[in-house]
Amino acid sequence: MSEDSRKVKVSLKYCGSCNPYVDLTRIARHLAAVARERGDFQLVPLSEDDVEVVVILCGCPRACGNKEEVRARARQSLVVAGESLDGRAVPEALLSSAVEQELSKYLTAEP
Amino acid sequence: MSMMTGKEYRESLRKLKPEIYYMGEKIESVVDHLAFVPHVNAAALTYDMALAPEFEELLSATSHLTGEKVNRYTHIHHSHDDLVKKVKMLRALGQQTGSCFQRCVGHDGLNSVYSVTYEIDQKMGTDYHKRLVSLLKEVQSKDLMISGAMTDVKGDRRLSPSQQKDPDLYVHVVEKREDGIVVSGAKAHITGAVNSHGHLVMPTAAMKAEDADYAVCFYVPVDAPGVIHIFGRQTNDTRKCNCFLDQGNVDYGIVGGEALIVFDKTFVPWEHVFMCGEYEFAYELVERFATAHRQNYGGCKTGLADALIGATYGLAQVQGTDRASHIRDKLVEMVHLTETLYCCSIACSCQGYALPAGSYMADPLLANITKLNVTRHIYEIARLAQDISGGVLATAPSEADWKDPQVGKYVDKYMKGVADVPAETRMRLIRLLEGMTCGTALVESMHGAGSPQAQRIMIERRANFERKKRLAEKLAKIGEQPLLVC
Repeated sequence: MSEDSRKVKVSLKYCGSCNPYVDLTRIARHLAAVARERGDFQLVPLSEDDVEVVVILCGCPRACGNKEEVRARARQSLVVAGESLDGRAVPEALLSSAVEQELSKYLTAEP
Repeated sequence: MSMMTGKEYRESLRKLKPEIYYMGEKIESVVDHLAFVPHVNAAALTYDMALAPEFEELLSATSHLTGEKVNRYTHIHHSHDDLVKKVKMLRALGQQTGSCFQRCVGHDGLNSVYSVTYEIDQKMGTDYHKRLVSLLKEVQSKDLMISGAMTDVKGDRRLSPSQQKDPDLYVHVVEKREDGIVVSGAKAHITGAVNSHGHLVMPTAAMKAEDADYAVCFYVPVDAPGVIHIFGRQTNDTRKCNCFLDQGNVDYGIVGGEALIVFDKTFVPWEHVFMCGEYEFAYELVERFATAHRQNYGGCKTGLADALIGATYGLAQVQGTDRASHIRDKLVEMVHLTETLYCCSIACSCQGYALPAGSYMADPLLANITKLNVTRHIYEIARLAQDISGGVLATAPSEADWKDPQVGKYVDKYMKGVADVPAETRMRLIRLLEGMTCGTALVESMHGAGSPQAQRIMIERRANFERKKRLAEKLAKIGEQPLLVC
């Protein structure tokens, strides 16, 4: 079994980024760096099987990426929609770390 | 009982005893007084059209609370489809009335208070949302018309509510009792106030801790003790009482009918209080209400514009100018301006989103763009209508002279346009255009749902200039160059 195969699979799904209120790529880069540091999860395409968490990155509250068929691809989901995370207001400057914290809760939770 | 007919709505108003004054007279019945009949008629159409097969898809909805069919004006939006249908409903009603039908203000108030009370309760542990849901069930089951009362009289605009010399210049709590609160103050320009069943009163602006007594939201029946209505004048309003043809829009008047509502130590039981001192939520409530209401204006005003364009086109035909290229070009411009406004309202609805309470609101930036465009486009549409109509819009003889046995024959002879259309047709179109473009109706497009500067402030708050600057910097190769994430 390879090292990667033991890591939890996390996917990112963008809304399409037509006119984002926040910099979604900053969140993506932050999560990629966190994945390298922690080593217990990896970012994979949403098309893969057994995705544990999908982080849905939407640039505004319209949340075009937050669709049932997207959420159904993973066991759990997190939704960024402009300056909010899962419906809770979060300023853009704190958004990356807030997503990391929420993701960390999912990764460390008892099955 | 659930959805009322227009007739049942009128009968329900007859059972109420609100305190109303107009032109120095205490009004006994708004349903029967000629000054109010056009406004009652317009509101009544929101009831009748909800039951008409050709309009029920827009004007009715399914209650998320009971699963019952309800009038859309009592419905809480729960999807993008609901937001879009509201706009389409407004356009349909605007086309049918050529006037304001008043009921949207309370509808927007209910939606705003619904979502904000949920969030207040989440943070403060209060039970405002439960109270609001209880009221909403009553509003839906009885099909009540609720006015939305937000704008305070404001006194000295340089001063906050608590800094005013007269404390009543913003509605505020004067006493908290075991069974409720006592409020004083006044709300201005309240559309449909005199022919509503009750008022949903909301704070008018962001509040600070020292203004906590002014952060108050509540519902009162229209005939509650201490609630006094002083009905406002409109351009040519006496024509409603002594003319027929000269009214122009004979059945529905020119605007919604606005009143000053005075609260003179009015008692409100706790069950009808939805904010009392939670000043940090006042701005959110104002913004949500403003967004909902500004979303509307590319709906209702485009419906009116459809009728206005039709009247202008009809008058051009009667006057024999309809084939002139510059007239056709101006008519096309009127359509272009109208449909631009409609695009705005549809767009802000499609870009709307869900709130923590589960209800939906329009996109605030695009809703404010919608209303700001209305403050310009409706004036330009009216200007073009006046251009095409000619000066007769301001000089036409009266209905009384047209009917006069001595001079009527001259009015009939010299008011004629093309030979095969009677002068009466031309005079009717002129009066309709006069009412829609020459007075109070235009001011409503400027200041209804907030003055243009209020929209500019909200647009600036949401403009995100820094992001736009980053886009330019990327193109101009200034500073760090972010790459696509692959």
